[in-house]
Amino acid sequence: MKPAASILLLTTLTGFAYGLLAWLGLYVAAGAPLAARTLVLGGVGAGVVLATLGLISSAMHLGRKERAWRAFSQWRSSWLSREGVAAVLTYPVVLAFAWTEYRAPGGLAARALGVAAALASLGTVFCTAMIYASLKPIRQWHNPHTAPDYLLYALFSGGTLFALLHTVTFGVAGGAAALAALAALGALIAKLAYWRHVDAQSPLATLASAIGLPKDTSARPLDAPHFTENFILREMGFQVARRHAVKLRRITLVLAFALPLACSVAAHFEVLPLTSSALAVACAALGLLTERWLFFAQATHVSALYYGRKI
Amino acid sequence: MTMLPKREPTARKMGLVIDLDTCVGCHACAVNCKEWNTGGEAGILPDYDKYGANPDGVWFNRIHSYESGSGESSRTVNFPRSCLHCENPLCVTVCPTGASFKRAEDGIVLIDTDICIGCKLCSWACPYGAREFDEDNGVMRKCTLCIDRIYDESRPPAEREPACVATCPAKARHFGDLADPDSKVSKLVKERGGTDLLPELGYRPTNKYLPPRRAQIPTAPRESAGSGGRGIGTALLKLLDKALSR
Repeated sequence: MKPAASILLLTTLTGFAYGLLAWLGLYVAAGAPLAARTLVLGGVGAGVVLATLGLISSAMHLGRKERAWRAFSQWRSSWLSREGVAAVLTYPVVLAFAWTEYRAPGGLAARALGVAAALASLGTVFCTAMIYASLKPIRQWHNPHTAPDYLLYALFSGGTLFALLHTVTFGVAGGAAALAALAALGALIAKLAYWRHVDAQSPLATLASAIGLPKDTSARPLDAPHFTENFILREMGFQVARRHAVKLRRITLVLAFALPLACSVAAHFEVLPLTSSALAVACAALGLLTERWLFFAQATHVSALYYGRKI
Repeated sequence: MTMLPKREPTARKMGLVIDLDTCVGCHACAVNCKEWNTGGEAGILPDYDKYGANPDGVWFNRIHSYESGSGESSRTVNFPRSCLHCENPLCVTVCPTGASFKRAEDGIVLIDTDICIGCKLCSWACPYGAREFDEDNGVMRKCTLCIDRIYDESRPPAEREPACVATCPAKARHFGDLADPDSKVSKLVKERGGTDLLPELGYRPTNKYLPPRRAQIPTAPRESAGSGGRGIGTALLKLLDKALSR
């Protein structure tokens, strides 16, 4: 599948944003100290701005941007519509959370709204993941890994951001960095499990069954319908060279997961906490963009079979 | 509304039956489809770089040719590919706006291009590659089963069929109601063992494809010189054949 920049930015940015908002909500719910009020309010501000940037970026992908509002109507059947509704509903919940935390920090209302903000944020990430997980023609997306992986990457990337804000506020990364490190480890294991899963999958169909012949009949393309590229080949037939894919997977492992893990551990044990936690965020951002690019580029679509492509 | 409509038991299921045995791969259906639909009510079907090095554009119908089997049993299979108006169309349910919909009365899957936001998700949801993006108007396009022909009462009844069916010189394309067991198309599917494309994905396409048949025409055995007679003439011919065959 073609990795469109707007969608890579959307899913990565909203992952950071909603992950951070979820941690902030849980932080207050678990009884954050009074002194953390600035951290929470600043964090909510950063989360809301990042989420908004991501959502604007996703609208850039539309052919008719002025009609984007129509996407809120079909939430009963469409995960894309549900994502839009969830993203919009998350704003008032998160803002109410920030308001109560400002007025009565650590109060019962703030704690309850913290849980609600975390649920709304992670719910939005879940809807985003389900857009991909529900697409039957793409085996690399339509599997039980996609939704939990997106949630884990959000908690991990948002966690590095949370640890950075914690360090900026208190001078030490403390437990926040430990949580980020744990989430990074979980995300790393999830990515390895995902690659293992998709590499072992067999194709969803054969060319023979795609053209109505018995499944195990041999079939090969003779003449294509057209000699230049068309929409289907550009969008669904995107191919990445195997040697590049191997390299990019290694880069993803190191940049997206291993380095942020190491940096978070360093920050936790107060080895240059500010530099370490800032580096964790930077590496996670670049690494997850690479990871997301691969998630698209290595996904194959059944319709490419008609053009003789391997799926 | 992108929820799938409840199908009335008496509702029609309009669709195509395509005969892979007689299709000659001439592309006439694709050309007439393009011709009709670029001038129809839905407006222009765009072309990009028309006279340049990389011509491209939106087509509702694409004709592939494949080779199947090997040796004596190998054969060419010409394969027209278009929307199959599935009974379980994921392209409809993923649509966030309601632009993509399936009609309850005849099962035709359509796009309301006045509502479509051009998110392309429906094209990702279709395993048949039947939807193509209109870059000029920023919306998705697809086969309409020539809805502006099949119900056009100003046409003589014999002409109320899709453009691709009307033009097929090999009569390899058939149009009708697949919910009616007595219709011409249903009978064809029954007689010839019509199949679904990609049945393993569970989209339950309405359009059916009739599989290619094995050649039924007996061929005469090869002739060899003089095999048919006796006498000096035949003997001489045999000698000549032997000499020439060296």
